Amino acid sequence: MKPFRYLFFIISLLTSQASVAQITPSANQLLHSIYAKLQKANDYTVQANIKVDMPFIRMLPIDAKIYFKQKNKFKVESKSIAVVPRQGFDQASKMLADTNAFNALVQGTELINNTLTSVVNIIPVADTSDLILGKLWIDEKQKLILKSKLTTRSNGTIVTEYTYGSQIQYALPDKMVFQVDIKKFKMPAGTPADPNAKKKEEKPRDDKKGNIIITLTNYQVNKGIPDELFKKK
Amino acid sequence: MFWRSTYNEFLKIAAKPRSYIGVGAITLIIALILIALKIDGHNFISFATRPFEQSLSFEGNILNGNLVAFIILQMLIIHVPLLIALVTGDLISGESAMGTIRLLLTKPISRTSLLFSKYLAGCVYTFIFLLWMGFIALVVGKYLFGTGDLVVLNSDGLIILQDHDLGWRFFTGFLVSYLSLVMIATLSLTLSCFSENSIGPIVSTMAVIILFNIMGALNVEFLQKIQPYLFTTHMLAWRSFFEDPLPVDKIVSSISVLLIHIILLLGVAVYKFNRKDILS
Repeated sequence: MKPFRYLFFIISLLTSQASVAQITPSANQLLHSIYAKLQKANDYTVQANIKVDMPFIRMLPIDAKIYFKQKNKFKVESKSIAVVPRQGFDQASKMLADTNAFNALVQGTELINNTLTSVVNIIPVADTSDLILGKLWIDEKQKLILKSKLTTRSNGTIVTEYTYGSQIQYALPDKMVFQVDIKKFKMPAGTPADPNAKKKEEKPRDDKKGNIIITLTNYQVNKGIPDELFKKK
Repeated sequence: MFWRSTYNEFLKIAAKPRSYIGVGAITLIIALILIALKIDGHNFISFATRPFEQSLSFEGNILNGNLVAFIILQMLIIHVPLLIALVTGDLISGESAMGTIRLLLTKPISRTSLLFSKYLAGCVYTFIFLLWMGFIALVVGKYLFGTGDLVVLNSDGLIILQDHDLGWRFFTGFLVSYLSLVMIATLSLTLSCFSENSIGPIVSTMAVIILFNIMGALNVEFLQKIQPYLFTTHMLAWRSFFEDPLPVDKIVSSISVLLIHIILLLGVAVYKFNRKDILS
């Protein structure tokens, strides 16, 4: 019986290696097709309504105009002060730009809002990469990212959920919900001239999630945006 | 006769060089702050946004005239009392020192009315002083830095107030600041009734403010029971108008404490001034 055991082990090892070899290129192909779809929109402007729902920030929703131009020009214009995720809206697109910079692996499938998605893990090749780990929930049929979870050295972890509608052909979302991990926020010990600052007991901050909800309307895609617009005044 | 006396008292304040020391000093200090913020303001305000900047980005004109006015008010409202006491602490004791109090009290006006006319003139001076401070902080600040939303940092986090929501907050904030400064004017006038020279009431007023501020800052159980009744605890009540939601109870309590102090001190001043020996 022993030779059969060894044979079974070798066969199963070989088949598992073969399945990984098959999955890896298909994950990369999937990401490549999504990147190609994202590239269809060379530039766009869009009206945004930004709602910040965070324990340590209190503000009313504000309106802003967002400008984007390939590859990575991005600008938020608003009369009010806008709070947006530091990773930007195009982080997933930026990450997919160089398919040689990471290894992609389909981890499995998951239902998101009744849509079957493939869960793709992204691990950067270089140790020095800003990205530590990426995870994308992809609707293979429509070639859309429905959810992403990106952990970077510089900006921590941000989970983003995307809802598509009017600009589905360009993979541009109508709504984005950014979930920001706020356990890292450290408030200054005592803020100047805050009469009640010292009197409150300093309680350890609970680990909480904060959300930034951005609703996007009135897309103007591929109408041309001059580069000067992105220069900081 | 009361209004005429008040008018005369105000002219006396206007004629004294010391009345312009405070106005000049505050103009110079605010000009310095404006220049400093113009040169390196973004570094200064990053103090407020730094705790959030790992994950979030703040887009827009954060360093604007509204924030500059808020910073100036916050920095100076603690120091302005000295400049107010410089004038109001001299109102009675200055007359005693120069010997003009005897002549003044020969007028056909009661001592109480004379005291109130001096007090009212002092309050008008305080109002003009604060108005000037508000003008250069807010109007010149907006001219130099533009307008925009106000980012306020307190112990609970950040509050971002929209530009169109700030007018009434600054207005009511200035009114409560005025009440705080009137409280200082009342204290120095009361101390002035006890003194025969100007320096005593001015130094005493500052000593009381410093003492109360120290008592307010110490986290000792015994002192914490007293702290809510110290007028210095409520001198920053104007800041409550920049909270959301508005802490109405806190504001009403602060205004009440300041008004009670003013009434009590005025009572003491009237009592002392009516019994003041002007013949010695």
